[in-house]
Amino acid sequence: MTTKFNHRDCHNYAPIDVVKGMCHVTKTIVIGDAEQCETFDLMPKCKHCTQFTANTDVVEMGVCEASTTEPKFFAYPDMVTVTCEWFHQN
Amino acid sequence: MTKTLKDVLAEAGIPMDFESGGHSPSEMVDREVRRDPHDRVVKLKEIYMDTLSSANSEFPYWYTREYVQHDSEIPVVRRAMSLKAAFVHSTPVIYPGELLVTHKTAFFRGSFPMPWLSEGYYMAQEDELYQEALKHGSASADEHSKFGQGGGNVTKSFGKVVSIAGKFGMRQEEIPALLRLAKAWVGKSVDDLGHKYEQMVPGYEVKEALMRNLICMFDSGYTLPQGREIINYYYPLEYGIDGLIDMATELKAKVAGRADGDGIKGTNRLYNYEAIILSLEGLKAWFENYGKEARRLENMEKDVIQKEEYGQIAERLEWLSHGKPRTFVEAFQMILTVHLAVLNEDAISGMSPGRIAQVLFPYFEQDIAAERITEDQVMELLELYRLSISSIDCFASTGVVGGVLSGNTFNTVSIGGLNKEGGSAVNRLEYLLLEAGLNNPMPQPTLALLYDEKLPEEFLLLAMECIKSGVGYPAFMNNQNGMTFMMNQYGPEGMTVEEARSWAIGGCLESSPSCWKPLHLNGKEYSVPGGAGQPTSVGVHFIAMPKILETVLWNGVDQRTGEQVFPPHNRSLDTYEDLFDQFKLYWQQAVDVLALTNNIQHDVWRKNNMAVINSMLKPDCLDKGHLIDEKGYRYNATFNVESTGTITCVNSLAAIKKLVYEDKSVSLDDLKTAIKDNFGFKTAKEVNSFSLSDQEKRDDDANDKDKLHFMCLQAPKYGNDDPFADDILLAWENFFCPDCSNYESLYAHSMYPCQISVSTHGAMGSATIASGDGRLAGTTYADASLSAFPGTDRSGVYALLNSATVWDHTQSQNSQLNIKIHPSAIQGASGSRKLLDLIQAYMRKGGFHIQFNVVDTKVLKDAQANPGNYRDLMVRVAGFTQYWVEIGKPVQDELIARTEYEGI
Repeated sequence: MTTKFNHRDCHNYAPIDVVKGMCHVTKTIVIGDAEQCETFDLMPKCKHCTQFTANTDVVEMGVCEASTTEPKFFAYPDMVTVTCEWFHQN
Repeated sequence: MTKTLKDVLAEAGIPMDFESGGHSPSEMVDREVRRDPHDRVVKLKEIYMDTLSSANSEFPYWYTREYVQHDSEIPVVRRAMSLKAAFVHSTPVIYPGELLVTHKTAFFRGSFPMPWLSEGYYMAQEDELYQEALKHGSASADEHSKFGQGGGNVTKSFGKVVSIAGKFGMRQEEIPALLRLAKAWVGKSVDDLGHKYEQMVPGYEVKEALMRNLICMFDSGYTLPQGREIINYYYPLEYGIDGLIDMATELKAKVAGRADGDGIKGTNRLYNYEAIILSLEGLKAWFENYGKEARRLENMEKDVIQKEEYGQIAERLEWLSHGKPRTFVEAFQMILTVHLAVLNEDAISGMSPGRIAQVLFPYFEQDIAAERITEDQVMELLELYRLSISSIDCFASTGVVGGVLSGNTFNTVSIGGLNKEGGSAVNRLEYLLLEAGLNNPMPQPTLALLYDEKLPEEFLLLAMECIKSGVGYPAFMNNQNGMTFMMNQYGPEGMTVEEARSWAIGGCLESSPSCWKPLHLNGKEYSVPGGAGQPTSVGVHFIAMPKILETVLWNGVDQRTGEQVFPPHNRSLDTYEDLFDQFKLYWQQAVDVLALTNNIQHDVWRKNNMAVINSMLKPDCLDKGHLIDEKGYRYNATFNVESTGTITCVNSLAAIKKLVYEDKSVSLDDLKTAIKDNFGFKTAKEVNSFSLSDQEKRDDDANDKDKLHFMCLQAPKYGNDDPFADDILLAWENFFCPDCSNYESLYAHSMYPCQISVSTHGAMGSATIASGDGRLAGTTYADASLSAFPGTDRSGVYALLNSATVWDHTQSQNSQLNIKIHPSAIQGASGSRKLLDLIQAYMRKGGFHIQFNVVDTKVLKDAQANPGNYRDLMVRVAGFTQYWVEIGKPVQDELIARTEYEGI
């Protein structure tokens, strides 16, 4: 089954604010939570990273396994990682 | 039917909708001057106008993650490592059509919390926030398109957006991270550590009572610890980032292990240079990441023109990540990115770019001469710059952002003034900058015109056109006053008259010390101005004078809360002199304890959270190897004492003096009883209006205080050239201004007065019971420090100017006078001339600041009733311009009620 993403998960999406963004392909303003379109290009985020371990009991939290502190520093799945040197897509 | 105060007074023959100098037309009158920006700017501005203030956790995440790894590191190095990590990992975002790029965060109008300063204001809402985060959003994407009321303010949570601090929207997915980050700083933030130590100040309980009762608004060291100052762009312009890294590296080697005669902090220079290098590396990576994003967009772009522009942007950013700017557009990009970098270093309002048209003039002059750019292209960039600067938000608590700042961040640009040699500093680029303010009216940067008799009349008349467009800028500041203040305050630190000429406005109205530096471009040397002083509007924040008077009248007790704020004075107040004497004693007690406690907050800030990037930019930190915390700045005597409610208090003292002590028409006790009873009216909160005219009588009122209330309202008032009231203002200023020098900042310099209200006249007025001038409980104070109370300046505008200038303004960092004028009063060329004559008259009398709301009151009333029709309406409040829909109702009400001048 193919996972459905929304515009907020797309690398063509330039967030304007917490609700909407500009699509670099269509040059239109789109609602971030609306479902992905045919030009979708996955945005690197923690939730797509092999270094991310999701927390099983706290909503929207996890751990970055690349962290060098003990305990490992937390991470959150929705964080954009285009600048993260440890990102490795799963 | 319930009667309003307006009804009651109309029946008594004292109309409140006062128009001075004639009557306005019955129909609504628009402003005379209107222009439009370039098409590109129009399109981007449409996005801005529909953009929500948005916050995310990215910067604090990387900052905190790095910080926890370096427990035992030297504090300044640890801070720089954290800043570097945050900049290196910030996500770049570029929007189609932009020419000047970089944003504070990956939003158009973004900001983020800094829990290392303060985490309490959102930890206190932890349960509420966390519950919001746990909810699974059931709303559809369509429902998310309901944007918040009040311009970009996210005042309520909706869908998957959580409202924080009454203004900022954050994605629900990030709330658990926000809370985790906040918890990481509990007990470690400047707020928490400062609080731990400030409690050791004798008399601390008075400080806490002052804050709790809103007699003082707000703490200084952890709220907005930097700002209200002029940034300095000289070093990155002259040397570029690689040049600065090389310079710091060389200097680091020179000082490593050496005290050089300073046995206490001489060796600190090593760590300071190391911190500077780290922060520059972070800045370099920020440029590089934006460059990479521009290249990515260039590669995917199909539109030929847009593709070319992305390529040019990428090339600029790649060059600026190491080299110094060579052209106007490169220099403009450099100062914008550096400005945003400083704003990301700390919670800052009022980081003013300063006299940028003089800083950028070398590039402009040479590019125009070489035909590398046209004036039209420069104008487009200047219009775009207004969009970038207006998009700057500052994440802080509701009280700070709403109650004080009204959502503005006061990145003021100064124009005019004198050059290093003492001639007019106006240049061709300043004309274009002023015109850009006309073409693209937006709240920021507001413009401060440093008025000097030497400025060209053509330039001043262009400024009149700008004012007539209703934008509330440029404000006029008296250049000679500013220079005199500079010499008085900073002379002991070595300021010369030549250097005093470089001053500019930091924040909305804070005169700030600067200096000249020699910029070299293609073999030619230019003297460019830039900031050289520490933050101002730090130290003792707004003390409400009407609240001090209230505690004097009631033996130290706040009448709204019943709390004993000051120790009882137990004086019978038999004479006016006794009353005023006790007022001064309570004032001094308040200032003293606030100065000490805020010194401690700032001391914690400078030990753990010192400015690194801003310090690196400011002369003479790079030369000395000392940052702000070690007085590396050239000028350090910048801490001040802020007052608010001046005119409301003066009017109240005038009424008490007249009615109780001179005419003896009422006893002090009877007057206090009437004040406490709010003269028989409901509270402003009950009425839901903070305007005096709208206040309603209580249904059960016996009308037994009406006569006394009329007497209070008709007692002498400031603004009428009446010595009875004006002498009270003079006596206050002659006490207050020199008294400030009795308090010492943590940098061991004397303080000085700062007399601006920002928006505190609304917030603090709402916490104040009725006053002797007839003002009712909860209504706003008079705006600014020298604006008349609405409807009380009835003797013509020149009488108001006379009242305002009874005292010597050069004793103070500033003063503020705002006037509302109907557009029809200054129409045409003759209207512009009359307006300029008025301003020049005020400047020649020694006034420091004057600015105008050129607007029909009927428009404001309609805008309050139909905000959706007025998204772009701007008004002048205190020392800044803001969108009408983004300011609070108390301040809106005061603006509507203000006297409207129909002729000048």
